[in-house]
Amino acid sequence: MSDNNKKWYSLNLNSRQKQPKTSSSCGCGKTEGGCNSSQPVEELSAEDFLEAAVNASIGEEVKKDGFDQVFDVKMSRRNAFKQLTASLLIGAGAVSSCTSVISSDESKEKSQIDWEEQFKGNYKLMEDDEKKGTVERLVRSYQLRTGKTISLSSKNAEKDVLFGYAFNISKCQGYMDCVSACVEENNQDRDSQMQYIRIHEMKDGKGFNFNEADDNYYHEVPAEGHFYMGTQCFHCDNPPCVEVCPVQATWREEDGLVVVDYDWCVGCRYCMAACPYDGRRFNWSKPEVPEEEVNKDQHYLGNRMRKKGVVEKCTFCVQRSRSGKDPACVEACPTGARVFGNLLDPDSTIRWVLENKKVFRLKEDLGTEPKFWYYMD
Amino acid sequence: MNKSNRIIQVLGVLFLIILVSSCKHKEDEYHSITDKIRAKSKNYHGVTISSEKYFDDIKMMEITEGEHTFLIPERKSQIKSFKCTECHTKPLHKLQTEGVQKAHWDIALKHADLNTMNCITCHNGENMDELKSLTGNQIDFNKSYKLCSQCHTKQFDDWKGGAHGKNIGGWAPPRAAMTCVNCHNPHKPHFETRWPARFNTQKIIDRK
Amino acid sequence: MRRLKVFKSLIIDSFDVISHGSRKYHIWMAFLTFVMLTGMYCYSIQLEEGLSVTGMSDRVSWGLYISNFTFLVGVAAAAVMLVMPTYVLKDIDFKQAVLIGEGLAVAALIMCLAFVVADMGGPSVLWHMIPGIGVFNFPNSMLTWDVLVLNGYLFLNITIPFYILFRHYQGKESKKSVYVPGAILSVFWAVGIHLVTAFLYQGLQARPFWNNALLGPRFLASAFAAGPALIILILAVIRSSTEFKVEDKTIKKIAMVVTIAAQINIIMLISELFKEFYAPTHHSESAYYLFFGLDGKTALLPWIWTAISLNVLATVILTFHKLRNNLKVLYFACAILFVAIWIEKGFGLIIPGFIPGPYGKIEEYTPSGIEIGVTLGIWALGALVFTILAKTAIGIETGKLRYKG
Repeated sequence: MSDNNKKWYSLNLNSRQKQPKTSSSCGCGKTEGGCNSSQPVEELSAEDFLEAAVNASIGEEVKKDGFDQVFDVKMSRRNAFKQLTASLLIGAGAVSSCTSVISSDESKEKSQIDWEEQFKGNYKLMEDDEKKGTVERLVRSYQLRTGKTISLSSKNAEKDVLFGYAFNISKCQGYMDCVSACVEENNQDRDSQMQYIRIHEMKDGKGFNFNEADDNYYHEVPAEGHFYMGTQCFHCDNPPCVEVCPVQATWREEDGLVVVDYDWCVGCRYCMAACPYDGRRFNWSKPEVPEEEVNKDQHYLGNRMRKKGVVEKCTFCVQRSRSGKDPACVEACPTGARVFGNLLDPDSTIRWVLENKKVFRLKEDLGTEPKFWYYMD
Repeated sequence: MNKSNRIIQVLGVLFLIILVSSCKHKEDEYHSITDKIRAKSKNYHGVTISSEKYFDDIKMMEITEGEHTFLIPERKSQIKSFKCTECHTKPLHKLQTEGVQKAHWDIALKHADLNTMNCITCHNGENMDELKSLTGNQIDFNKSYKLCSQCHTKQFDDWKGGAHGKNIGGWAPPRAAMTCVNCHNPHKPHFETRWPARFNTQKIIDRK
Repeated sequence: MRRLKVFKSLIIDSFDVISHGSRKYHIWMAFLTFVMLTGMYCYSIQLEEGLSVTGMSDRVSWGLYISNFTFLVGVAAAAVMLVMPTYVLKDIDFKQAVLIGEGLAVAALIMCLAFVVADMGGPSVLWHMIPGIGVFNFPNSMLTWDVLVLNGYLFLNITIPFYILFRHYQGKESKKSVYVPGAILSVFWAVGIHLVTAFLYQGLQARPFWNNALLGPRFLASAFAAGPALIILILAVIRSSTEFKVEDKTIKKIAMVVTIAAQINIIMLISELFKEFYAPTHHSESAYYLFFGLDGKTALLPWIWTAISLNVLATVILTFHKLRNNLKVLYFACAILFVAIWIEKGFGLIIPGFIPGPYGKIEEYTPSGIEIGVTLGIWALGALVFTILAKTAIGIETGKLRYKG
C-alpha cells in the first residue's frame, strides 16, 4: 500500500496545484477516520469547482488533467463521447465533490476510480496499456474498500493455443468436487448458489435422456443404475451468444475462450436466450462472497468480482488456464473424468482423446461447434 | 402517383443494398472445428508457458511407453516404510510363523477375486523391495503401472494417451501424469460411494 | 424564427389544452399518475435489489417485460394499416383515425423502450448501446437492428403527425410532397419493426419454440389484428367523450382490417398447432407445455386456453357482417381479441420458449408483484403519453387550437 508514485490515474477534479503529498499516510490501513485525522481537511472552494467544471467540459483546449488521461486514447469515438458527456458529468461530479468535502483522500480517490470505471471502454477493444490501467484501478479500488490486495491479471491469449475439453462419461461418479472447486475458484455468488457446472444423473438404459435426468440429486453417489454427465459452457467456436450481444460485451478470444466483460455488459440476457447449452448465469442480485473466501488470484475476464445485473459464465478458469494450469474442475475431479488441453498441440492429451476415442458433442446439429467433447472408456 | 412509385423503387433498392451488405462474411473461416484444428496445428511452434513450476516440489521421473514420453511422480519416497526389507529381513513364510507382531493388518485385498489375485500375485515374497510380474519378472516400485497394465491393457492405453488419469501441474508442457497408484489404492482400487462434495442447491424446496 | 415562435405558442397552447378538461379527464389523469408513481416505486426497488425481485431466473431469463415489449411492437406496427390507405391510397375514411393511430404508435413505442430498459440488468451503462459512443454490434445482433428500427419508427411517427398538426395549427394545409414520402417509408418501416422483432426470437437455434419460419408472419398478422382493434376501442371512447367526429364508416372499415388479420392469424395458428401435434418431435415440448402442461407443470394452461377461445370467438364474431356491423358487438369483439393476442403474443410466446430449458429442465415462471407493478406503471405511462398526444391532436383537428399570433 505504500506506493508513493501513484499507479492509478487521478481525476484531479478539485485541486490541480495543491495535491497533498500524503499518500503514504494512508498506508496505515486503518479506517478512514484514522487517516483523516492526520491530515488537513481539504475543502472545495467555489472557484476551484468552477475551474474544474470548465476544464472538464472543454478538456482538450486546456492542459491535460486526469480526465483526459483516461479518455485520451486512439479511438476517436471515445473523444466524441467525452465532449458529449462532459457537461452531463459535471452535475454528477458536483454531487460527489460536495459529499467529499469532509471526507478523506481515500474516499475521494475511491469515487474517482468509480467514475473512471463507469466510463471506460470495452475491454475487447482496449490496447494493452488501457487493459493495465483498468486492472490497476480495480486492484486499487478493492484495496480501498477492503484493505486487501488482490492479484488481477490481464494476460492475453497465448499464440498457438486453442483450448479444448473432454469429459469421460464412464468415469464421472457425480461426486460434485468439480462444482465445489469451481464455486470457490471463481468467486460465484454464494447467496443464490450460482454454479456454472451442472451434473446430470441419468438412468442406465435410457440413453442420454436429459428429460429424465436429475441435476439436483440428494443422495450418496454413484447411485445404483445411474451414470453422470456434466455440462457447463462449451466454449463454442461459433458461439450464438456472441453473435446476439448488442454491445459486444462477450466474445471469443484467440485461444477459444468465450468471455464476458462484466463492466461492459448491459444485462439484456439475450445471450442467455441464445445459448443452447444453459451455459450462462445472471447476477440477479449483488453477488456476495465472504471476504475470507474470496479467491484473490484473479483475471479481468475470469473470476474477478462481478456486480449485480451482469451475465457471467465458465471461462475454463482463464486465470488458471492462461498460466498453464488446468481449470479448477479438472484439477478437482477425483476420477479423472475431465481432460483439458491445447487442441493445436499434436502431442497434447486432448488431441489424443479426440483422435483415439469415440467422441461426440451435444447438439452438434446446431452448428455451434462446441469445444467440449464427451467420450466413454 | 409516378413520384411515389419512384420513391418506392428507391426505397426498395436501398433495402436490398442494406440486406446484401449486412450478410455475414465468413469466407475465410473453416468449415468445422476439426478442420480448424488440423489447419492451425500444422505449423505449431509450441507455447511459451510451462507447467513445470506447478510440480516443483514433487519428485518426477520421465518414462517412455510406446510413442508417449511423459513424467510420473516417483513412488518409492512416498511409501511410508520403504525399503520393505528394513522389516522384511527374512523370507515371508518365516516372518509369519515366528508369532511376531502382525503387520499390514489393515490391508484387506479387494481387487478381483481371490481365485485370480492374492498378495503374491504382485508382491514377491522373496524380495519385498520389488514387485513381481505374472511371469515372475521384477518390476520396480516406481514403475508399478507396468504391473497394472498386465491385466488392464485398455486402461493402460488410455492412460498413455491421456484419456485415463489426471494431469499434474496443468495442461502446458511438459506433460506430467499421475500414475495408477496416485488415484487407486492397489489393494482396493474401486472408488467408494459417498455424499457429493456440494449439492446443486441447499434449498430444500427446489429438490424433488 | 417565425417557426420557433409558432412552435413555442403550440407548446404553450397544448399545455393549456392538456391541463384543462372535464372531471372525468382529471380523474383519468390522476389515476394514471398514481399508477405511474407506484410503478416508479416498484422500479426503484428493482434498481436497488436487482432483478432478483422479479420472477425471472437463470432458466426463464425473460418474463413479463419482454412479453409486453413484444406485444407492443405489434401495436405500434399496426398504425401502418391506417397510414397506408390514408396517405397513399387517399382513402378518406381513415383520415381521422390516422392521427390517433400514429399517436398510439408513439405511445406504444415509448412503452416498448421503457420495457426494454426495465428489463436491463444495468440501466446505468445503457450508453454502451449508443452507436458511436458505445459499441454497436451491428449487423450481427438482431437487438441492434431492433434498436435502430424502433427508434427510426418512433422518429417517423413523431415527425409526420407533427408536421401535419403544425400546419393545421397555423390554419394551413399540409403539403403532400413533404409527408407522403415519409408515410410510404413508414409503411415499409412498420413491417420492418415487427419482422425484426420476430427475428429477434426466430434467429435463436437454442429455442426450437421460436425457431420457426412462421413466427415473423404470425407476428404481423396478430399485430394487424390487435393494433387496429385497440384503435377501434380508442376511437369509440373519443367519439363519446369529445366532439371529434369519427364516422361509423371509418370504424367499420378498420373493423374490416381487424377481421382479415384475425382470420389470417387463426389460419397460421392452426398451421402451427398441426405441425407441433401431428408429428410431435423433441422440439414440440414447449408447445406441449404451453397447451397441455408437462410433468404436471401447468401454469400457462388457463392463460393460453383463455386466449385461444377468446381469439376464436372474436374471429367468429368479426367474420359475420351482421355481428360486425353492430358497433356494440364490434367493441366487445375487439376487446376480447386484444386481450387474447396480448396473452398469446406476450407470455404465451416468450415464457414457453424457455420451458423446458436446454436440458429439459422445467422451471416455471410467475411474475412477482414488483414486476407487475412496473409493468402497470409502464402501461400507465403509455396511456398518459397517448392521452396527451390525442388531446392536443384533437384540439388542433377540431379547430379549437389555432395559432393566434
